[in-house]
Amino acid sequence: MAPSGGLRYFAGRLVTGAVTLWVVSVLVFSAVHLVPGGYPDIVLGPASSPQVREALRAEFGLDRPLVLQYLEWVRHVLTGDLGTSLGTGEPVSAQLMRRLPVTAELAGLSLALTVLAGVPLALLAGLSRGRFGRGLSRLVGSSAMSVPDFVLGSLLVFLFSRFSLGLPVGGYVPLAEDPVANLRSMALPALTLSVFGLALVVRTGRDAVAATFSSPHIAAALARGERIGQVTRHHVLRNAAIPVLTVLATYAGYLMGGAVIVENLFSLPGVAQAVLNAINGRDYATVQGLVLVAAAVFIAINLLADFAYGVVDPRIRAGHRG
Amino acid sequence: MSAETGSAAPVLAATDLVIEYSTRNGPIRSLDQATLTVGSGQIVALVGESGSGKSTLGMATGRLLASNAVYAGGLLSVAGRPVYGPGAQGGEGLRALRREVLAFVFQNPVAALNPTMRIRRQMELAGPAGREARDGSSAAEALGEVGLTDVPRVLRSYPHELSGGMAQRVGIAMALRRRPRLLIADEPTAAVDATLRAQILNLLVSQCRDQGCALLLLTHDLHAVAQHTEQIAVMYGGRMVEHGPTAEVLGRPMHPYTRALVAALPGEERPGRRLEAIGGVPPVLHAGCPGCAFAPRCPDALPNCRDVRPADAAVAGRTLTCHLHPGEIGDPSAAPNDAGRPRATEAGRRHLDKEQEAAR
Repeated sequence: MAPSGGLRYFAGRLVTGAVTLWVVSVLVFSAVHLVPGGYPDIVLGPASSPQVREALRAEFGLDRPLVLQYLEWVRHVLTGDLGTSLGTGEPVSAQLMRRLPVTAELAGLSLALTVLAGVPLALLAGLSRGRFGRGLSRLVGSSAMSVPDFVLGSLLVFLFSRFSLGLPVGGYVPLAEDPVANLRSMALPALTLSVFGLALVVRTGRDAVAATFSSPHIAAALARGERIGQVTRHHVLRNAAIPVLTVLATYAGYLMGGAVIVENLFSLPGVAQAVLNAINGRDYATVQGLVLVAAAVFIAINLLADFAYGVVDPRIRAGHRG
Repeated sequence: MSAETGSAAPVLAATDLVIEYSTRNGPIRSLDQATLTVGSGQIVALVGESGSGKSTLGMATGRLLASNAVYAGGLLSVAGRPVYGPGAQGGEGLRALRREVLAFVFQNPVAALNPTMRIRRQMELAGPAGREARDGSSAAEALGEVGLTDVPRVLRSYPHELSGGMAQRVGIAMALRRRPRLLIADEPTAAVDATLRAQILNLLVSQCRDQGCALLLLTHDLHAVAQHTEQIAVMYGGRMVEHGPTAEVLGRPMHPYTRALVAALPGEERPGRRLEAIGGVPPVLHAGCPGCAFAPRCPDALPNCRDVRPADAAVAGRTLTCHLHPGEIGDPSAAPNDAGRPRATEAGRRHLDKEQEAAR
């Protein structure tokens, strides 16, 4: 029963992921093309003549019905061609390859910081008896969550540049060029991006640990005379990990949005910055291509999280939760 | 008291135990001078409505009460080791007591198992410490003893893959693996399919008998009590109101509350007679009850029942705490904190039986 149930669960998640990706492709395409002010308006300005605009639209095939344009785009994407930037004429995939490592490093560092600092803090807060742990984690959690990235980021930029505190606040050094300088240039952006996740993990983790401790099977283990340390190791950690995984998956999605702000604030040449520039320039091909890839990455992360649940919580594999 | 009690210390001895829960609205007194003795190997039922304090007493035996529970007086010892009162130890001593002497079977058997761990591993963790713990075959034996078929499958399962009945059998096997001397079972069949209740209870009682382990069965189910237990203690408002041999107490209930419980039993009704419910609601005590806690609901209450606490008295082979049956020594106007509680004696019982007959 368990293996086939597990297989069905994982297969189901995969199908859901594929459908989600398709829905995203439709949404991105429509959103980009329905934004007021088309490509010719932006490139040629408001004073241009209608004939010139028509010619430009025809040149890029923008005069054809949207459905046809969409199908054409999907056909290209399925063969691995993300299109060509309307602005620079460079293939979108080339731009992606250049910029993806920057964003991936930023997101990876933020996630690592969140997990490595957040999980121990959550455990500490959850295991500390009484109100102190709960109060502290609530205070840290809610204050860290309610400070927006751009406020925190701007503050860091100001402090570190005004008082020369030893970390660069802008400029990016590729990892291959100088690893140490690379990490130094990434430190503040990653910190900015990880604070929200850190708060999320600490709060959720603390509450999960506390909730697990009050569940009947913990009472049963304590009634058998097991030590609190053993009980924590054997019975608490895995059960408390389930809600933490959920918020981590949500946070991974948030990282994409957060990256837009942080990359711009710290002038990092990442994907998010490119998407923002492309939207401002109505560079349809670039926006579509990059957002679609971002969505695919996001869906993949969520799939991984779903698989992780399945591994951690046998009830989910069997299809009935709680 | 039954013969096997002998001279050995009782496995459970609670004397005038007072436990309160501190809440936002002040303290709630759950045990109000509860007194109960369970002899070695005895099968004892503790009955009473929800809120009567029986679960509190059950959990108090292992000091497993919620963190807002406050000990406010009296004594409780398990196998001679103090749990509440002077000399009570926490920490390692308490853990040793839980490991070596006590075992618990819970109301919801599936919830009492770790949902993310296979039964095999949980059996190993609950088993005797040391080398045997790694021995899978002894876990399998333990599961076989509680009547589970297809033991390998059960060992491989997660709790959610078991039925309530199977999970409770696992719970019983886990509880009895360390050969405890006292097993506390709190409504062990409440979450089990009605058709399996008798089986599970039979199993629990026979396993305890085989091992010579005393059983304190907390339940509402008087039919099961009548069938399986030697002694019954009826609890109301955080104290015992009637305590004695099951056959005598249920056969001829004397405390008005016990009488009401027995009358409210489905199955005891006769054609044309109403099934009686007990009028009113159980009390929520905020402090010690000055009189008898049942007085407000009692059909036969005397004028002093609400204000004067009845003393324990030996009446008709049982211990009774009621002004209607003052017993041999008990004085109806005795102070509530009467220290030397009289206990049932044979002479007293005969004497009282006559007195009872005369009174009717």
